[in-house]
Amino acid sequence: MSSSTTFADAPAAARSAPPILEIVNAVHAYDGVVALDNVSVSAAPGEFLTILGESGSGKTTLLRLISGLEKPYRVGTLKLEGVDVREVPAFQRNCTTVFQNYALFPHMTVGANVEYGLKVRGVPPKDREARAREALRLVQLQEMYDRKVHQLSGGQRQRVALARALVPRPAILLLDEPLGALDEKLRVDMQVELMQLHKQLGMTFIYITHSQEEALTMSDRIILMRKGKIEQAGPPAEIFDSPISSFAAKFMGVDNCFEGELVAVSDGWASVAVGERRIDGRWTGKSAPQPGAKVAVGMRAEWLQLSDAPPDASGEHNVLDCVAEASIYKGKYLDRTVKTALGPLKARIWDAASSARHPSFVRWKKGDCIVMNA
Amino acid sequence: MSATAMETYSRRAVAAPSARRRLSTSPRWTTLAKGAGVFAIVMIYIPLVWLAVMSFTANPLAGIPYPLTFQNYATLFADARWRPPLYTSLLMSAGVAVVCMALSTLVGRALTRMARPGASLLLVLMPLFVPGLTMGAALFIFLRTMLNLTLGMWSIFLAQLVWALPFCILLVLVVASRFDLRLLDAAEDLGASPWRRFWDIEMPILRPGILGAGIFGFLLSFNELPRSLFVRGIETTMPIYNWAMAASQQSQVPIIFSLTTILLAVTLPVMGAFFWVLFVKLDKN
Repeated sequence: MSSSTTFADAPAAARSAPPILEIVNAVHAYDGVVALDNVSVSAAPGEFLTILGESGSGKTTLLRLISGLEKPYRVGTLKLEGVDVREVPAFQRNCTTVFQNYALFPHMTVGANVEYGLKVRGVPPKDREARAREALRLVQLQEMYDRKVHQLSGGQRQRVALARALVPRPAILLLDEPLGALDEKLRVDMQVELMQLHKQLGMTFIYITHSQEEALTMSDRIILMRKGKIEQAGPPAEIFDSPISSFAAKFMGVDNCFEGELVAVSDGWASVAVGERRIDGRWTGKSAPQPGAKVAVGMRAEWLQLSDAPPDASGEHNVLDCVAEASIYKGKYLDRTVKTALGPLKARIWDAASSARHPSFVRWKKGDCIVMNA
Repeated sequence: MSATAMETYSRRAVAAPSARRRLSTSPRWTTLAKGAGVFAIVMIYIPLVWLAVMSFTANPLAGIPYPLTFQNYATLFADARWRPPLYTSLLMSAGVAVVCMALSTLVGRALTRMARPGASLLLVLMPLFVPGLTMGAALFIFLRTMLNLTLGMWSIFLAQLVWALPFCILLVLVVASRFDLRLLDAAEDLGASPWRRFWDIEMPILRPGILGAGIFGFLLSFNELPRSLFVRGIETTMPIYNWAMAASQQSQVPIIFSLTTILLAVTLPVMGAFFWVLFVKLDKN
């Protein structure tokens, strides 16, 4: 699990075709605050690309730059379908957006909303209606054509916004945290529906979210952003298993992170001194720094094993002695905190019945321990 | 704080809101409010009704609603002198209404897009607080004495526009300030040109405010007297005519009663219907 990236290989077709989106060195700022700092992104036709980041990381700015609603301060290349669109206004670009707040037109019916993209393109009313009904069928709202927007629930509005963006058949569909306002159950259902739609339509999706879980579930590739820069980019499994920095690790849900001093690094393995202790693990950072440099060590809670007897010294594990502290019952699993020489560690126990009641040792495989740039 | 003090304090804190609630729902207050409301309505409508009744009496200024007659109306329709002022006013008010709709839409949109609209808003609304006679005199001195222009229709139009515009801007602002600018992003994203974005999205949503501005612009212009008096040159509008007739102790007075009654009878139902369509019917859709 920790070492495999085989499940998340990008589709073969995506790699060979010329990119449908190409951005090189985009720079943008609002009132002196840098929103994008030399960001370069490309997307292959049919790719599901997720831009992941916390609020203020510049991900929405990046999306608005692609759609044309924002004009970048400076950009080297900005190409859609191989055509330079730096000077092309948003309404002439072949991409549409599903907005976070849906932005449905309140004075129009559902049908008129969905048809709007065709209306402004001069499609005759009959074709418009046929295509709008088709799109509504795609999002399972075929009965809602004549409804008013304010009669719809949040989830239904979301689907109308999706249908409206799909109807003009854009080259790229941009989704700006479209599931952010939905409750959890609906969100999970919509994730599956979006993935099916993506597969069915073969359209390029660029999806913005702050949820690592959404990003991991849906994407072919993830771009993790931090303060207007790209922190890491790659297939979900790569980012999940091999975050290059403590920021990426924490964002991808690595529960235990510590700072240490690099002792040695070779062959992709690193040895780190954290306080008095020596921890060994995989080097996942960018270029390996010199010994003595500050690095970060991380391990996921589910990789830690607790026991009350000293484990065999096989050399494959990092071992620490520990004192049990709080435990939090989560239903499917149990989160236990133990005190160690490194500080408190969180361990996730799936089989609470067979685990040690008063653990005095914690161990984890060296392969399940990541060492990266601080 | 001692325990006792705390107790009294908390008890008082609990008691206060319930006392207030009792006061606000007390039947005496409701009765008083109803009484005041009825009084206000009576004070507004009695003079109007009295005016209408008097227009059917032989001698309106005597104040006795007897004997009833259509004589005043006959005189009114036989007389042609009040017609040019009426046509002038109708045309003038229609013009002011149209220009008000256009200008208040432009200004309302611009104000809601400004980062700090406070100062501009104040400047725009300030004419509301300038007394009519002051504004009229100021305009007269500026246009006639300083610029030495010949006053006429255009200056009446200008004075009425200055008077009506702030109200119209307020009406548009009420709607425009609630307008979600992100809808325009959505329309642009879907391929709508700037003109289509305005026409398909912004205009329909602002429409109640813009039409309201038109109605108010018309009414305010149609009733405007103090500013027009100063800058009229030799022109006469309906209010100027009525005022001149009512002010002079002439035999023309009775037909003013008839004339104002007719205006009232036409205006009130039309405006009522307009508002009903605008705010009740359109709101439901």
